[in-house]
Amino acid sequence: MKLAMNIPLIRLLVIKDWQLFQKPLAAHVLAGLFALGLLGLARPWAFYLGSLLLIVVLVAGSCFAVSTSLLEERKQQTLAFVMSLPVSPLDFTVAKLAGGLLTFGVPFMVLLLGTVVVILSTPLPDGLLVYSLLIYGHVLLAYCISLAVAMQVQSEGWNIFAMIASNLLVNPLIMLLGQIDAISVPARGEDIVWSLPAVAILSAQLLLSLCTLAFTAWWHGRKAAFY
Amino acid sequence: MNDIQSGAPAGAPPDARVHAFDHLRALAMLAGVLFHAGLAYSPLLHPWWPTADRQHAPVVDTLLWLSHLVRMPLFFLVAGYFAALVQQRRGIGGLARQRVRRILLPLLVAWPLVHWGTGAATTWAAGAVEHPAPMLRMIAEWMAMPDAPSLPPTTGHLWFLYYLLLFGVLHWAGRALELGGLLRRWLDRGMLAVALCLPGLLWPGFALAPAPHPAPESLLPQFWAIGVYGPFYALGVALHGRLDALATLRRWLPAGALLCLLAYAIFLLQLEAGLTLANAAWSTALLEAMVAGWGTLGCLACGLRWLAQPRAWLGYLARSAYWSYIVHLPLLFAIQYALMDLEWPWAAKFATAVVTTLALCLLSYEALVRRTPLRRWVG
Repeated sequence: MKLAMNIPLIRLLVIKDWQLFQKPLAAHVLAGLFALGLLGLARPWAFYLGSLLLIVVLVAGSCFAVSTSLLEERKQQTLAFVMSLPVSPLDFTVAKLAGGLLTFGVPFMVLLLGTVVVILSTPLPDGLLVYSLLIYGHVLLAYCISLAVAMQVQSEGWNIFAMIASNLLVNPLIMLLGQIDAISVPARGEDIVWSLPAVAILSAQLLLSLCTLAFTAWWHGRKAAFY
Repeated sequence: MNDIQSGAPAGAPPDARVHAFDHLRALAMLAGVLFHAGLAYSPLLHPWWPTADRQHAPVVDTLLWLSHLVRMPLFFLVAGYFAALVQQRRGIGGLARQRVRRILLPLLVAWPLVHWGTGAATTWAAGAVEHPAPMLRMIAEWMAMPDAPSLPPTTGHLWFLYYLLLFGVLHWAGRALELGGLLRRWLDRGMLAVALCLPGLLWPGFALAPAPHPAPESLLPQFWAIGVYGPFYALGVALHGRLDALATLRRWLPAGALLCLLAYAIFLLQLEAGLTLANAAWSTALLEAMVAGWGTLGCLACGLRWLAQPRAWLGYLARSAYWSYIVHLPLLFAIQYALMDLEWPWAAKFATAVVTTLALCLLSYEALVRRTPLRRWVG
């Protein structure tokens, strides 16, 4: 595999993705801050409303990032224009992966840090941190799967299916975590307990996310032509 | 001579530095030092403030809460103006970099140091002061508990830096969502319309907090603080390049000042019932909103009228104000704890505390900031 890449152009493509995503990103950040503010009220109704809104914002953020960066561009035949630029399929793949990770990663990290601050600085039990990180881990994995599918599959229907299915699996995950005593019991206490099941689930989420991205990069990078 | 319409020196280019804003920001921050020093002699805050002195006087409350309702709104209005200025000159990326260098880094570095300094002074006072304030006594009892629960971390008096960062994010979001047109249309209706509707915008924010409103020290965004300070920041952004709009305010200054003082007098009467942790009544919140809105606009108009010329001493205060404000509270607490057992009148203690604190702040600015690389961050 030829690894020489056109870095300046990749950078421009990433900046282009970032700029096109500004509006949805701003809306997500505003909604996320509102959700964190609700959580910070430390009242039961505000906690339920805030946590629900936070999950909605995370899922919507992941879907919008994939949709803006890949699906919309496909509809507008942007690839045909990109092919006229001095970029290889590998350059394009790297730009899309980096752009996608940036547009998703910024709101994701802002909300992740906000959640950590909320849990540690309010009367909410600190043990909730592990539980929350596992949910964030799932959203990350769902995003990576959606991104990989969007890069691989042209069909809009299959892409929507992949986004909805992977993100909706957060519901069974929340139920599953509630069934595992080693995770659900400490979540109600003040100690942050990294039990074996919690570490195993988070590690699996991170590893699968990484493998999905690495496989996607390898699969597309080895192509000699765009089609 | 300065151009009264814009506040900039006559003949200066349109984007020339508006000295009045520098001076107003400096005075707002220094008013904070006076405010924190005055809290020790406030009858209203006596049960709640750790440096509360045995000597206190009702006149302190009369003066204190007026400055409380105006100084931080004014600060955020000026901050919004400067943020728009930086954005115009360096773009939104430049504004973000400037916020990181001038706000985020100083906050991250100063926060633990200030926290430690204030804590050390209070720990010393809890054991050494013979006539402690009720709050200091409570802190001493709490410290003596074998398993005392730890308090959640707060931003302390550096909350304004946290909110400047938050408003920076909201500024970017507003720009990305193209909400600037709303601000422009708001200002297009004329400054009198802005002045009339400003209390209405602030009202819900004040109603979501106790009266007088506390400092929003929590690490989480407080809706009431965004509702109270956000409109001022947004107005500051909108006023950039539109300072001529303020000219009409000058005609209304005497009437506005009278209304403001009247609202403040009624507010003071309502405060006589004492301080509670419950949210303010809607009527009290409206009075606060009127005082804060009109008082801030009045200060702005006065500043543009009388503080527009560059003056050496005000320029020096403006440059040292940021550093002074960051470091003043631990110093002030230590000095006021040391003064607690003295049999001096409150006014003498207040003057000693303010003069000594400001002297130490300015000396440390001279020694540590003015001629060192630190001035890039906090100078």
